[in-house]
Amino acid sequence: MKILGISAHYHDSAAALLVDGMPICSVQEERLTRRKGDAEFPMSAIEWCLEKGGLEPEQLDAVIFYEKPLLKFERILTLALRNFPHTWRSFPRAMKNSLGGKLWVKGIIHSSLGVPLKKIFFTEHHQSHAAAVFLTAPTRSAALLTSDGVGEWATMTVGRGSRENGATKIELLREIHFPHSLGMFYSTITAYLGFPVNEGEYKVMGLASYGKPSFQRTMEKVIQRTRDGAFRLNLDYFEFQRSASRSFSRRLVDELGPARSPHQAIDLSNPEGRRYADIAASAQRVLEEILVDIAKTLRRQTELPDLCLSGGVALNGCANARILRESGFERVFLPPAPGDAGGALGAALYADRIFFGQPDREFPDHPFWGPEVDPEELARVAREDGIPLEQLPDEGAFLERVATELARGKIVGWMDGASELGPRALGHRSILAAPFPAKMRDLLNRSIKYREEFRPFAPAVPIEVAQRYFDLPPGGDRVARFMSGVFPVRPEWREKLAAITHVDGTARLQAVPKEMAPRFHALLHAYGARTGIPVLLNTSFNLAGEPIVNRAVEGYSTFRRSGIDLLASGRYLVAKKAAQPAGLDEVA
Amino acid sequence: MRTVRASWMDRLLRPVHRWVWLSAERRASKLFRFAETEADGGRDISRAAELTGDPLLRRLYLRHAQDEQRHCELFKQRGRSILEEMRLDPKSRKKFELNWLSPGERGLDDLRVDSEGEASLLAFLHISEKAAAARFVIYRDVLQRDPQTRAVFDNVLKDETFHMNYTYQQLVRVAPRGHGWPLWRARLHRLWKGYLRLAVAVAALLGSAVLLAQYFVILPIFAVLAKRAACRDPPGWFERNRPATSRGQY
Repeated sequence: MKILGISAHYHDSAAALLVDGMPICSVQEERLTRRKGDAEFPMSAIEWCLEKGGLEPEQLDAVIFYEKPLLKFERILTLALRNFPHTWRSFPRAMKNSLGGKLWVKGIIHSSLGVPLKKIFFTEHHQSHAAAVFLTAPTRSAALLTSDGVGEWATMTVGRGSRENGATKIELLREIHFPHSLGMFYSTITAYLGFPVNEGEYKVMGLASYGKPSFQRTMEKVIQRTRDGAFRLNLDYFEFQRSASRSFSRRLVDELGPARSPHQAIDLSNPEGRRYADIAASAQRVLEEILVDIAKTLRRQTELPDLCLSGGVALNGCANARILRESGFERVFLPPAPGDAGGALGAALYADRIFFGQPDREFPDHPFWGPEVDPEELARVAREDGIPLEQLPDEGAFLERVATELARGKIVGWMDGASELGPRALGHRSILAAPFPAKMRDLLNRSIKYREEFRPFAPAVPIEVAQRYFDLPPGGDRVARFMSGVFPVRPEWREKLAAITHVDGTARLQAVPKEMAPRFHALLHAYGARTGIPVLLNTSFNLAGEPIVNRAVEGYSTFRRSGIDLLASGRYLVAKKAAQPAGLDEVA
Repeated sequence: MRTVRASWMDRLLRPVHRWVWLSAERRASKLFRFAETEADGGRDISRAAELTGDPLLRRLYLRHAQDEQRHCELFKQRGRSILEEMRLDPKSRKKFELNWLSPGERGLDDLRVDSEGEASLLAFLHISEKAAAARFVIYRDVLQRDPQTRAVFDNVLKDETFHMNYTYQQLVRVAPRGHGWPLWRARLHRLWKGYLRLAVAVAALLGSAVLLAQYFVILPIFAVLAKRAACRDPPGWFERNRPATSRGQY
């Protein structure tokens, strides 16, 4: 069967193609349109997937959308009615959004692809999340926990999945309904702290490490536990159910103090900056405790050793690590794209295994489902621009040379093979640097990523030596495979690995298995042979406000516009000239 | 090298501009808005650099994109300094900013770099850079009481003039015979976009009015029912009893 999965219309739209139960490709729309977080109907991603699979739309057996638009519309309308008349401002906008496109997904798919209506299917949002993790993880049966802002009605679901004798079962047993949502709680705090929602949640997590959870009591008033072990938001503190422009209420401001303006710099040396950090720490603590508690209950109820975790909240690496340590599950699986971008692949897998009852297949355990990089393109543009280009004779020489440059303190843009699905660069589209001096972090934050000083950088380490440098609990290497957990750096290495060690002594590491990314794995060892420590700082290959690079020329453009010293792809190395090509003024 | 002058309209409106820039709060707010516009513009230009097959244009676009990024930082830093000096919160009050008069560069022009040809893109960039430069001249001139912000505009203006000139020179190079037509088309395109913005705004206003009327006329009775139903929905876990249907959107 040939199945196309689509996610769209909220954030990070994507497409995925499945042929005979096996994935061919999956890509986020933003990687092709170059508009960060592109939520439009993913026409570019669909076209690329079909081209990659050598298919015309009419050859598809099914197209599946990752959520149910009418059920979602019901929620929007119901909430508008429940909060009448306070929703009078948000109602016109919500209706225009839904009636202007989001509600007519079936028609949009039919008219853009020419696929007959009978071939168009829908899965529920959280079923897509559950499938995106359970059907891609190397486990036969597992407890399922999905959590995000909101899907249709559900904001969190728990259940179980099994893949026995070729038959697949995904049962979501219970769910928590909007507006009670862990994702909305965290996003509201993100907005309160002046960061953009759906983008700034990482910043809250990074900032949390600088603070003390001194506002935990307040947070526990904002999000309360229910008798049945779930939680509820105290809606007095929120506005998102009423307003399209502001998510927190005056009462939250009364409790926590003035909200931060997005333009105000966070200075952790003054009381105001520390207050923001304390608020972030308190929200993080409360989120973690709720998640750990729900996971513990799930472990007790299912008696299964494995947990599959997905949805946008599963991007919170600190919470993931605590779930692994404290919930009682032996193994925790997370997909490389737990958010909506992974929903396209999840929906396609759900359709294949559940709707069409196709036999279960082992899923390749890697995140590299996007377009391949073409090193010749890099060579061409570098030659045309007169930028120093070097082609190394063989693979060994290439890796040795890159490792040597990294050991010399150079910052390297690394592009290799197919791009990653999901928000993390996992060794195919990465900016790499030495993890040693703390000033490397500041340099990257200031002159390459253009982001706040308090944000940490992640390390990458070969999986077989990860324990030497990081204190991984049992199962930690699995969580670290796709950079999904934050774990302590061993105390004896913290000073040495200053650029990747966060203020609280932790790091969101990637433990790289050889079979997943052999070239990147070899580079880490080559670097280790030179410096004695096979750990590299690994951050996504993009500049602020841009999606991760996809094609070689996009990497080249990023390289030219930032402080990256060296660009590596295929066996080509492109170095920055001491000065940019002169004479451009003359052309004007 | 062409020099830049403020347009006759802006010269006429000089007292209004002076009044707008007099308030520190408005000044900071406008600078942050410019920073966003410059950053967006920089992304468009870097995309143009990635797509062009012309090596000279690629180098120019890359420099242009770097300039825009630098301008973004300059505007942002100055905006922050003003806020710190005045201890202001830019979101504290909405103030009239005269933004309909100052669309900046490409911020409101919805540039789709991927679908533009070389000549039409250069013409579009030339026209928008020229407009921005002319606008920055008047801003610089009315900012006599704020030498630091004035210095920022001075700095940015030098680059804008370069951008305006190189885009024209390159347009002449890539379309040696017919570069007048792309320029006119770009001007007409801006006008058309202006009309579309206005039309969309009016349509949105009308749409909102109709929906609002429905909200207050039709919805109240359903709202009562929905509120009653909500009381029967306690927060907490819900048992899932929906069958997994594949075709339904509901």
